[in-house]
Amino acid sequence: MTTVRRLSGWAVRAAVIAVGVMVQPPNRLTAQDSQFGIQGLGTPGKQESVRSRSAGGAFAAFDASSPLMDANLADIRRLSGSITGATSWRDVAADSGQVTLRGTRFPALVIAGPILRRLSIGGGFSTYLDRSYGITTRDTLIIRGDSVPVADQITNDGGVTDVRVAAGIRVGRALAIGAGIHMLTGSSRIVAKRVFPDSGDYRPTTSRDEVAYEGFGASVSALLDVGRDLRLAGWYRNDSKLRADLGGRTVAENDLPVSYGGALLWSPGNQVVFAGSTQWHTWSVAGAGVNAHDTFNWSLGAEIGSVGSPFRLGLRGGQMPFGAHGAPTETGASAGLGRQFAGGRGRIDIGIGRLVRKDDRLTEKVWTILLGVSVRP
Amino acid sequence: MRRLVGTLGLLATALTLGCEEQLIAPGDCPDFCPNGQIVLVDTVFTTVITRDSAYRGYVQAYQSGAATATNQPTAQSRPYFKLDPMFLRIRSTPSDSTTVPVIADSARLRLAITRRDTTAPNLRLQIYALPQTVDTLSTFADLDPYFSGPIVDSVNVSDLRSRPLIGDTATVRAWGDSIRTDSAGHVLVISRTDATWFIYFSLDTLQAPLAEPDSGRLAYGVKVVADTAVSITLGTNESVSNGPVMEWFYHFTPKDSVNAKTDSTLRVPSLDSYVFDPPNAPIDSNLTVGGAPSARSLIRVTIPPALRDSIDVVRATLILVPVTPVNGMASDSFYVVARQVTTDLGAKSPLGNDAAGSVVIHPGVSDTVRLEITDMVRSWVLLDTLSTTAFMLSQLPEANSFTEARFYSSLTPAFRPALHVTFVRRFPFGRP
Repeated sequence: MTTVRRLSGWAVRAAVIAVGVMVQPPNRLTAQDSQFGIQGLGTPGKQESVRSRSAGGAFAAFDASSPLMDANLADIRRLSGSITGATSWRDVAADSGQVTLRGTRFPALVIAGPILRRLSIGGGFSTYLDRSYGITTRDTLIIRGDSVPVADQITNDGGVTDVRVAAGIRVGRALAIGAGIHMLTGSSRIVAKRVFPDSGDYRPTTSRDEVAYEGFGASVSALLDVGRDLRLAGWYRNDSKLRADLGGRTVAENDLPVSYGGALLWSPGNQVVFAGSTQWHTWSVAGAGVNAHDTFNWSLGAEIGSVGSPFRLGLRGGQMPFGAHGAPTETGASAGLGRQFAGGRGRIDIGIGRLVRKDDRLTEKVWTILLGVSVRP
Repeated sequence: MRRLVGTLGLLATALTLGCEEQLIAPGDCPDFCPNGQIVLVDTVFTTVITRDSAYRGYVQAYQSGAATATNQPTAQSRPYFKLDPMFLRIRSTPSDSTTVPVIADSARLRLAITRRDTTAPNLRLQIYALPQTVDTLSTFADLDPYFSGPIVDSVNVSDLRSRPLIGDTATVRAWGDSIRTDSAGHVLVISRTDATWFIYFSLDTLQAPLAEPDSGRLAYGVKVVADTAVSITLGTNESVSNGPVMEWFYHFTPKDSVNAKTDSTLRVPSLDSYVFDPPNAPIDSNLTVGGAPSARSLIRVTIPPALRDSIDVVRATLILVPVTPVNGMASDSFYVVARQVTTDLGAKSPLGNDAAGSVVIHPGVSDTVRLEITDMVRSWVLLDTLSTTAFMLSQLPEANSFTEARFYSSLTPAFRPALHVTFVRRFPFGRP
């Protein structure tokens, strides 16, 4: 007999605190920053819940809390919502020295529920491109015949958010399909400052503006159960152009990639699940001016233990789309725990991840702590 | 206990997640920096200054807060002042309207040196008597003959400065500070607040006669001499605290008494000014700043479209080419200040309160003058594009001296004023 616990105790406190943490300004709705995204369109977000991300991203295609696919919405039999929060510490080692950066992000929110017996709809938002960064540079310019030291600081706070409306339908016992439309929207506040540290003759200058981004996309996906223990997933997504508007005037337009991928889930027993996934993105269409490259990414993960309190771990690898010296590589490992409470009406997932991104000139190492809250009222 | 630990742990997690972010890192350019960069442009706009004019008559010599006394081969300048009348009769007693004559015993004249020449040896101040007819219209030629007459008094300031400091209690009580004095009774008191030198002359009744025909008025001129060319500045009555002051010491015999009473009273100038030679040249097509009466130059600027389109002006410098070096000694240096014209009404344009920029003008130097006016120009470009883009150049201090600067105006194309501007181009927002 299953004991239905009341919403009380540590679970309630955790949920309240987590919700309090997540009530943040919308501009923090971005994913994990990277120096590799500065010269490009940004750093692509990971459309994964904490559960998926703790397992290297391998479960994203099968997890309805992850906004990667639409077909998995068909498995939602009750209104549910989940949000993902992440705090990252990045060590960036470059020619200019080593620096530790920190950022707190809320990269994904999914709300979904059934409207018919076989049909569920969902929506939410996730990070499409993170464009938050800050750069300081120092130089000495020859102005009016004198050497004048200058210090520049360019900060960009914001990103492109993927607002998704999707539906998933089970067309048979073994097959579920889904489709979604995506509105890419967002903005970034850019501030460019220059100061002249050693000269009283030159006034500091600051210019700031806000750039709005807009684009559209559509996605289709399918889930196929092959036997009792094996599930396959495939997805395809096509995004239009990303338009950057400044004061109502388009200042930049970049093509966005076609993305597709596949995944496999194997459940050899009640206490263990394995998954693997691959995905491709044709980011090179974004243009040579942003040093864009096509990317391939893979992930492997496992979830061990009971549904109520599983342990997860995973590996991931692949490329990042923007780099002046070819596509940077990204490899990572992650692990996490989950805990259901209130008779399965709520769940808290925590995770930790380690990423290493590198190219010929720069290495970026990231620790990420993840917190996810899912509720099914 | 477990609940408490659990709650605290969750709270710590929450705080960790909610803490401030740090995203700013040293840029590793160009590979890991934005493609858009801050671009500086440095340009000399040679034709943006137009319709520039000079006007004279803003501050008269007698309105200035100081007066230059100079004695140099190329210039002479002599302060003069006319004191308020001294009363010749006084009430016998406060309650008695009957007056009795006042008999002057002596007088003490105080002059203040607000700027001195530390390089001039044997600096002397010579006091000359001037006629009662001196007024604001008196010229150097008018008064010069009187400076050839007998000297009323003379003090060697350099010698007085070298005298030992007298700081006993009685002296400090009488003078308010330590003093230096010479055998002729001259006294030097150096102000503790601004290093002004107060020189006191003891005058007898021949040097300071209280004459009934003159209604007790006295006028004096001051000539400065030294072993070399010299230039100093004396305070005037307009400076409030540093003007000439005459203290009359007198006695009178009250009615029905055989014993005289003594008293003293102070008189300040009803007029103080200075005359100089050679006189300032008339205003011409050049930009004149300074002299007495003071001249100012109105500069109008046509902001070029390139600046309007810029995002910010980080430095703006007005370039002026002198017609000739400023006449005077090194110690006669002065400021030329630029003040914003709030409404362009020509010579009578109202000016902003604060100086938009200033530069020191050194006599005898013919170098190009560069005046920083960054804040004013950036306000024209950024803050209020409808504001009057003009400013007035004036001397500081104004009308204290005969010194004036002359710069080429826009009517002399080869040497016309120019605006050297360093500005930032609009940042390429939105481009990856």
